[in-house]
Amino acid sequence: MKFLFMIYHDETMMDALPKKEMQGLIDSALEYDEEIKKSGHYVVSNALQSSRTARTIRVRGGTVSTTDGPFVETKEQLGGFFLIEAKDIDEACAVASRFPPARIGIIEVRPVWELAHS
Amino acid sequence: MKYVCLVYLVENDMSAMTKKEADACTDESLAYDDALRRAGHLVVAHALQPVESATTVRVRNGKLFATDGPFAETKEQLGGFLLIEARDLNEAIQVAAKIPMASRGSIEVRPIRELRLSGEYA
Repeated sequence: MKFLFMIYHDETMMDALPKKEMQGLIDSALEYDEEIKKSGHYVVSNALQSSRTARTIRVRGGTVSTTDGPFVETKEQLGGFFLIEAKDIDEACAVASRFPPARIGIIEVRPVWELAHS
Repeated sequence: MKYVCLVYLVENDMSAMTKKEADACTDESLAYDDALRRAGHLVVAHALQPVESATTVRVRNGKLFATDGPFAETKEQLGGFLLIEARDLNEAIQVAAKIPMASRGSIEVRPIRELRLSGEYA
């Protein structure tokens, strides 16, 4: 069963981290990638650029409208995601809790919904 | 360059659809995934189960705190995502605008950030 981890953190706080500390977090995140590849949980993951780089798109009556910025304005912003394979939500949460930035951010864990043609 | 397309929808509107409407939405979405795959744009795409199925995890002082529900309570909820490959933001926006759900919800498009180990900097 597949689960999505959405990693939320305070971008202002992350931007204010000393370079060395930030690189330490990145190193620990990449080591975690390797760890969960070895354990067979990893499917795909990516960090995201700042929410300031986001565009939000809607199509209404065939017309596309684009606005700058993320869809949801929250204090903590989506900073990255993991798609993982786990037996159930408990295993998924246990995997999520080992992600080093979980110590400063928040991870939402949600099961994917396998779509099938009608 | 990779971009993530986050699909936000009003879950209540989706669950209020007739089976026929919901099936048509699913078929359209899967057909668009296939078209993107053939065009070399699709890395991975998934719909998500409703927000009630979410668990939010925090670790503070070595202790795990898990709470039921999504992190952000919003009128529209994240209903799925597509990770795509596109030449630039304009191409990513064009791909996103054709996502069938773009006519019902909103799509946030965001470039991914390549992380490198400290040892990988020259």
